[in-house]
Amino acid sequence: MAKAELKTNNKTEIEDSSSLKGTLASVFLLGAFIVVTWVSVYYLFVDRF
Amino acid sequence: MHMHKFEKIWLAFGIGALVVFLTTVGVSAFYLGNKPPSCLTTINVDKVDQTKPFDKPGLHKVEGKDWDYELVYVASAFSYNPVKVEVPLGAKVKVIATTKDVVHGFEVAGTNINMMLEPGYVSEYTTTFDKAGEYLIVCNEYCGAGHHLMSSMIEVKK
Repeated sequence: MAKAELKTNNKTEIEDSSSLKGTLASVFLLGAFIVVTWVSVYYLFVDRF
Repeated sequence: MHMHKFEKIWLAFGIGALVVFLTTVGVSAFYLGNKPPSCLTTINVDKVDQTKPFDKPGLHKVEGKDWDYELVYVASAFSYNPVKVEVPLGAKVKVIATTKDVVHGFEVAGTNINMMLEPGYVSEYTTTFDKAGEYLIVCNEYCGAGHHLMSSMIEVKK
């Protein structure tokens, strides 16, 4: 008689979605981009007469 | 309210950046006195040639003011008056300009002097010419068929 197999060793992996490391990295990448462009344009403004 | 530690970090960074940028703008406006080139000084468009200082375009030495020279320009389709000016190196100059007809631009390429000239209004910008060289003035507001021919030259000389 066929026996319904129960795979007990198959664990469902639950991703830990509470980690915000990637978000932090992308926020600071964007932040650095904005700061660098702002400072370089400001330098141009100050350097010229 | 629960907030993730990272959220606090980037909120502080964002608010800090905003404070720095706004402080820079505030100091520039209220301490250094930077303002838009056109501060509502008006002029009768039909009488530009008879109105001081536009009756004598060009560079003039002035006494008793915060600046050493006044550089007066009258723009019209499709030229600037004067066409060429020599400015001594290191001179503090107030550039005063207006237009006789339509909206023109007044951009001294490679510098911070960049104004819109509107009929009926006077635009001005005060600066110290501290780099020698030739500076091309171009119109950057489309003013008609000869727009691309509008130019003038400032030569900063020792």
